[in-house]
Amino acid sequence: MPNRKNSIDKTGQEAYDVIKGTGYFTGNSKATKCKKEEGGSGMRKRILCLAGVLLAVSCLAGCQKKDPQPGEVAGYDEGEEYLSIWVHSIEDTEEGQAYKESVESFNEAYDGKYFADIEFVPRNDSGGGYSDKVNASVMAGGLPDVLTVDGPNVAAYAANGIIQPLADLTEEEKSAYLPSIIEQGTYDDKLYALGVMESSVGLYYNKDILEEAGIDVPDADHPWTWSEFLDILEELKPMMDEMGGYPLDMTFPVGETSIYYFAPFVWSGGGELVSDDGLTVDGYFNSDKTIAAMKYFRTIVEDKYMSEAPIDNLFESGRAAFKFDGAWEVNTIYNSYPDIDLGVAPYIVSDDWQGETYTPTGSWAFAASSETKDIEGATELVKWMSGVDSGIRIWNMTKNFPSTYEAFENIDVFQTDENYSALYNQLSTYGHPRPKTPVYPQVSTCFQETLESVALGGKDASSELDKAVERIDAKLERYTRE
Amino acid sequence: MKKKNSILGMAFFGPALVLLTVFLFLPMVLTLVFSFTDYFALNPELTHFVGLENYFNIFKDELFVKSFLNTVKFVIIIVPLQCIGALVLALAINKAAHCKKYFKVAFFVPVVMSLAVVSTLWMQIYSPEGILNTILGQFGIDAQPFIHSADQALPSIAIMSVWQGVGYQMIIFLGGLQNINPALYEAAEMDHASSWQKFKDITLPELKPLCVFVFITVTIGAFRMLVQPMVMTGGGPDHSTYTIVYDIYETGTVNWEMGLASTMAIVFTVFVVILTIIQNVLTKDREGRKHGNKKAKAN
Repeated sequence: MPNRKNSIDKTGQEAYDVIKGTGYFTGNSKATKCKKEEGGSGMRKRILCLAGVLLAVSCLAGCQKKDPQPGEVAGYDEGEEYLSIWVHSIEDTEEGQAYKESVESFNEAYDGKYFADIEFVPRNDSGGGYSDKVNASVMAGGLPDVLTVDGPNVAAYAANGIIQPLADLTEEEKSAYLPSIIEQGTYDDKLYALGVMESSVGLYYNKDILEEAGIDVPDADHPWTWSEFLDILEELKPMMDEMGGYPLDMTFPVGETSIYYFAPFVWSGGGELVSDDGLTVDGYFNSDKTIAAMKYFRTIVEDKYMSEAPIDNLFESGRAAFKFDGAWEVNTIYNSYPDIDLGVAPYIVSDDWQGETYTPTGSWAFAASSETKDIEGATELVKWMSGVDSGIRIWNMTKNFPSTYEAFENIDVFQTDENYSALYNQLSTYGHPRPKTPVYPQVSTCFQETLESVALGGKDASSELDKAVERIDAKLERYTRE
Repeated sequence: MKKKNSILGMAFFGPALVLLTVFLFLPMVLTLVFSFTDYFALNPELTHFVGLENYFNIFKDELFVKSFLNTVKFVIIIVPLQCIGALVLALAINKAAHCKKYFKVAFFVPVVMSLAVVSTLWMQIYSPEGILNTILGQFGIDAQPFIHSADQALPSIAIMSVWQGVGYQMIIFLGGLQNINPALYEAAEMDHASSWQKFKDITLPELKPLCVFVFITVTIGAFRMLVQPMVMTGGGPDHSTYTIVYDIYETGTVNWEMGLASTMAIVFTVFVVILTIIQNVLTKDREGRKHGNKKAKAN
């Protein structure tokens, strides 16, 4: 799940504290001198050695993680296979509770065969905390059998052998999931991860404003093209100016959001950001398609269809006709801004669109770690955690989209509510996963930075993209050298 | 007796030593070692020794150089503002006849607040329709983009940081002011010294050691700038607020390049240490001169 808003970054604070701690400089030189004069006895050395040994022992003891024996954990009985699972969530949150209930139901269903033990590892919005723990375990050992991985990180984790391919799924099992979920979890033609959540971004519109302007919204298979959309923005501009607003409520925030919302502009023109094998960006990230998308954003900014500096709640306060935002926005509008008559328009497409998939997708998924000894059991757990019941549970408790057709069919609102059904339809028909490459973090950062400097800073798209390609290539070297 | 003392001493010193070793010295040594490798957090097994390659690479890296320059810019804005600001506030409060305590607390409150909270607060203040732009609007000034513009973001964050940190140095100066012997001022008054002369010839020289301390702490604090840009701008727009520590964090934890991040950390540390040594040398010089003067006077 990408960043929702700028949020307080815990890891940042931690990192800051660490640096703060090491940065002290006011050592009391007098005290040090006294000790030096006093020292030199063999005793001190011996005690130092002893302390060192004690430390080493306690460290080793602390690091060595052993699976518990039957009976040590409530519900873990003799004869059951022990499976540990890490989730990137806090136990007290609704998401945490949903995972917990899914694990409990797994333990009931597989009583006598498997026992899954869930551990909650909190993370902040940029993924720190949780990923720190994963990184540390990669080095020191102690990865669980199953862990959650953010969709775009599947490639990096797979390429570096942190996760292993799941045991074979039948075609029937695979076809239960939305295609975007299977694609997100596949790397190098092997299926590594299955998510319980899927996500989408909507192009929301204010029905009252469009009605007043006499603009009709097309159906999902005939989205507005870029040029058509520019004409509409132009048409709305005088009206929105009068209201002290803008036709479009759009920002290019730092973090995952930008690539998640706006990479579809590249895809809808037939472009890709990274090659199929995930190891080449030159000719993709800086292709004409990407340049065209970047220039399009610049046009929107230059013609003042959006505010250069983000204005909070522009759309929600009725001063913008359109907004790009995550699917959670529907829930927010329904609950907190009932005055807004909300509609979902199909995501706009490049003038060259040929009907290919292009809309945003992706979320956290479950994968089996390379350290698990029982891949069959781990796969069962992954399937259960991402299955229909778990999906319905995640929707009910967190309002995150489920990942299977059956779950969507069993949730009324996707049949009855036009906005939710429009988002579901967009997701299942036109969903496109984010680039699958082991250097995804660099690709994501570069995309946002280029977008910002081209659209807001007015810099040349082609040279900015070339610079970004150089930076990504430097990170790719690790994977491409022989 | 001596032996007993050393055992007792170790008993007190030992736990601290162990903790310092594990959480401070060991990581420092490891950082140095990693800085010569291509250690990748996701795949530690493939780590190679690469010699000085990282050190050459980071200086070829435009982003690192830019973040370095940004950090220097932060230091150049923050250090004078915060040092002089703290002194002015301390003088004002020292002079204030009423509500001394109130002002002291009021200026100190931002220091105890979490940086992340302060940053979030100031995002609202700086926002296009925020309080600052509303006030500017009253004076007929156009709304400013502040943290959303590549030109204004860095100064905006620097000013916020000064506001946040200045109270701490103010308290230090206040303590110093209260330690100045009132007899000095009385003597000066007898000689009909103006208030400027009193400030220049009594207050400032008496506060000199504190000034040096404040100068060094503020400088090092400014070099470590991270939380404010991280929360407020994410290093943007166009990397205008990207700092060294931010670059180290991103390289190490987001891009998993621990080796490269370690190199950056070492270069950064060496730089700050050199700066501190220079400042220390300058300070010693001054103190030496002061002692020399005293001796001369005694003679």
